[in-house]
Amino acid sequence: MLAFVGRVARQVGLPLLVVVLPWMALSVPILSLPLGFPWNQTVVYRIQMLGLDIPVYLEGLAWGFTWPLRIGVTISAALLFYLTTQQTALVAMLFKFRMPFRFIYMVAATLQMIPLMVDEVRSIYQAQLARGLRTDVGIIKKLWNFLTLVVPLTLSSLGKVQTRAIALESRGFSAPVAKTVLYDIRFKRVDYVFFACMAAATVYLGFLYVTEGYSPIVHLRYLLLG
Amino acid sequence: MAVSKVQYPISVEGFTYSYPSKPYVLRDISFKVERGEAVGIIGPNGAGKSTLCRALNGLVPHFYGGRMSGRIYVAGMDTLKHTVAELSTKVGLVFQEPETQLSGLALTVEDEISFGLSMLGYPKEVILDRTREAIEKVGLKGLEHRSPFELSGGQQQRLAIATVLAMKPEVIVLDEPAAQLDPLGKSQVFDVLRELLREGSTILVAEHEIEELATFTHRLILLDGGRILCDGSSRHVLRQVERLKSSGVDPPSVTELAHLVKTVCRMRLEDYPITVEEAVGLFAELLEGGRI
Repeated sequence: MLAFVGRVARQVGLPLLVVVLPWMALSVPILSLPLGFPWNQTVVYRIQMLGLDIPVYLEGLAWGFTWPLRIGVTISAALLFYLTTQQTALVAMLFKFRMPFRFIYMVAATLQMIPLMVDEVRSIYQAQLARGLRTDVGIIKKLWNFLTLVVPLTLSSLGKVQTRAIALESRGFSAPVAKTVLYDIRFKRVDYVFFACMAAATVYLGFLYVTEGYSPIVHLRYLLLG
Repeated sequence: MAVSKVQYPISVEGFTYSYPSKPYVLRDISFKVERGEAVGIIGPNGAGKSTLCRALNGLVPHFYGGRMSGRIYVAGMDTLKHTVAELSTKVGLVFQEPETQLSGLALTVEDEISFGLSMLGYPKEVILDRTREAIEKVGLKGLEHRSPFELSGGQQQRLAIATVLAMKPEVIVLDEPAAQLDPLGKSQVFDVLRELLREGSTILVAEHEIEELATFTHRLILLDGGRILCDGSSRHVLRQVERLKSSGVDPPSVTELAHLVKTVCRMRLEDYPITVEEAVGLFAELLEGGRI
């Protein structure tokens, strides 16, 4: 819902679909069928197929759905943060919270690095294509191809980190003085309300987790089978 | 601190340096740079140009470690006794690659320029003033709110110069600032340097290509194998064509042409031209005199 408010629903939704749905398609059958998931106890359905009688377990079924959903929550939270946060505001806020400047730099620089890394990956990929990297290959070979991107990317990033450290150093990054941040940030009433709601929700969910011990094994049986 | 050293923006005295992994990159380097002087450091790859540049703002040895002897004074400050951050207001170092010297924190050109001053904790008004001034000097007006990553190479390099200008350094040191730029970017960068020089800045440029350098430096230092082979006025250094070539440095084409005219055609030339304009004058004279 927040994604719609921030007008980034498409960017958030697409990766979610791509990651979560196939994951479910894999995890649901693997966990719910008798393939060794240790917590399977309750049989909810029996599949009659090829003369075999295959039980479907509730615990596995529930885990198969919740696990990818949890990953989905993490991904969507990260994407929402990345796509909607104004970096200057973020820096100004962290600064206001008196975070150490090195930490602030780490957060902000990570956000800035993402598009640069994407560019880098693209140019490495094109270079590898130009040198005869085959793309019309099977899945195993594709994974191998992935290595040909990751290795140069890691190496070039390491080199760049060194250069950047030098550049930062020569611009007084580690000067032992209070830094100046040019942007000022002021909390409006909306911000306080939002923060309060978030805090309340976190406390409530934490409470639920501790008391109910949310785990589909205990919980869903209680919900569905009474 | 001796009083005499304060007079020189840069004073290098018997400087010898070894990286932890590479011995004697620089050997017994000594020179002084006068205020308002433009000095070019020339030499082949691996001659120690970059190391020398990095020694001037204290990155060598503070960042790299290694062993050194001798002293470097920048605006009277011993680079060994002051941190790189302290030296950053005295020496502005511009690197070869435009992209890697961006802070990675700034979203706009303006932010990028103010970054260094913010790091040193200057008050906000001073930062904004100096940023505006630096933008004007390098001719990036109108691009203040662009992302630094969207600029062309030449613009990025001018941005890099602006970031050090905002610190109001005594000396601007540039390490092959034009090496990765296209011809247009190159000429933009050198135009900015010429302008700064006119305003009285002290500039030290390490460059591989001499052609542009010859048009505005007063003095050249030829570095090879970590030693100073030749140090003198640009004209004096450039006319030693054979010596430059044996060090793997290409003298300006016009100088080389004049040298060949002299040696091959056995003509008597008083002096070699070092810029195209001078060459036009000289050869026009020769042609009119019917000597060629």
